[in-house]
Amino acid sequence: MSETELCEAQATGESGGEGWEPLILTFCCYWCAYTGADLAGTSRLQYPTNIRILRVQCSGMVHPNLVIEALTKGADGVLMLGCHPGDCHYLEGNLRARSRAEAISLMLEDFGLEPERFRLEWVSASEGPRFAQVVTEMVEQVRQLGPSPYRS
Amino acid sequence: MAARLAEEWFAICGGCEVTILDIGEPLLDLLEKVQIVHMPVLMDHKLYGQTGEKTEMEIPEAEVGLISGGIRSDEHKRLAQEMRRKCKTLIALGSCACYGGIPALANLSSTEELLTKVYRESVTTDKNGFPHEDIPALTDRVYAVSEVVKVDMILPGCPTTPEMVAGALTALLEGRPFTLSTKSVCDECPTIREKKAVSTLRRRLEPPTFTPGAPLNQMRCFMEQGFLCNGPATRSGCGGSEGTPRCIRAYMPCEGCFGPLSEKANPMVDMMGALSTIGLDPKQIPDRAATFNRFSGAGRLRPVPKR
Repeated sequence: MSETELCEAQATGESGGEGWEPLILTFCCYWCAYTGADLAGTSRLQYPTNIRILRVQCSGMVHPNLVIEALTKGADGVLMLGCHPGDCHYLEGNLRARSRAEAISLMLEDFGLEPERFRLEWVSASEGPRFAQVVTEMVEQVRQLGPSPYRS
Repeated sequence: MAARLAEEWFAICGGCEVTILDIGEPLLDLLEKVQIVHMPVLMDHKLYGQTGEKTEMEIPEAEVGLISGGIRSDEHKRLAQEMRRKCKTLIALGSCACYGGIPALANLSSTEELLTKVYRESVTTDKNGFPHEDIPALTDRVYAVSEVVKVDMILPGCPTTPEMVAGALTALLEGRPFTLSTKSVCDECPTIREKKAVSTLRRRLEPPTFTPGAPLNQMRCFMEQGFLCNGPATRSGCGGSEGTPRCIRAYMPCEGCFGPLSEKANPMVDMMGALSTIGLDPKQIPDRAATFNRFSGAGRLRPVPKR
């Protein structure tokens, strides 16, 4: 998400006070998760509008600094969605994402953030309902945690 | 007319001053072009007049000012401000001045904790009060020089390299621009990288695998051999005209002494990313903040909350 969008989000009363709504940046891989999101849309499945989807070619290209930067610059949570292990279009990009996710979870503590603000999930191209479910769960979880301490 | 040069040192070991001496023969040419007006390590020039007759600290005016060491006390702070007032171009010499360096690892503890540990809790120390007479008060943490005054040029490294110091000074005196490398150590490292670790994390004391005598481009990357190497998050340039980074040339992984690639970079995040990417276990790093910010603690390290 661009900084302009974050600023917009903050300007429209989402900056953490009254009427706060969680803002979750979602990295979706092109081959599985993004198609899954598409399917959820064309199947008219309902899910919260708190997510902003960023399409990436592979979950294996999401470096930890992107996630940390999003979380320290205004996002309340980050969701990383990729193909199921073994299904990666680039053979093992999602496995790389998995080992990076471990590093990210460790570092959230260093930045004073709850580990639940970051989540890595596998969503295949045919799993529209699962996409909607993961997003709903994540939004609920972050809503309970409250606004990110970096949002002020 | 020779350009006047002033030098001050703060929280530092003195290695960067040795680097100036280490320039070797080119130093002789350089010395003809500069006149040293203030340099505590070399000459007896006192701050309050030679007999202490002045009330205000005074450093003579100079075209070039060099500062080595981070800022740890009120005195350092005042000296840095005085240097800034008197010097046209101010250069931070060495990683301590640029990023806090090794002394900035102290930023992991509060000043109170440090004093208590050193003067009260250490078993080999008589338990006295904290020293306070005739010494300047400590600052709340170690600062890089650029956090206190504006710095025109940084020359990182622990110690910085003779070639770089000579190059920067010569460029400055001749009115040419001097720029640092914007590449990482990995960009200049000749070892073989296949983006996959062949071992679990290993201790630095263990020997890396290489064929003695064979060129470095036949050796596997240190990180992929399981050794923590700060190359991915460290600015290159230590190799100078030879290119190959200093530590790599000596078959040692990069320590990270040239500091991060940019002001905003967070070496810990970059390094945790780099090592998990190739399949090393990030949980095995005992103290990630200090390990990956070993030379760049000023402004990046802060006391760890007690659990």
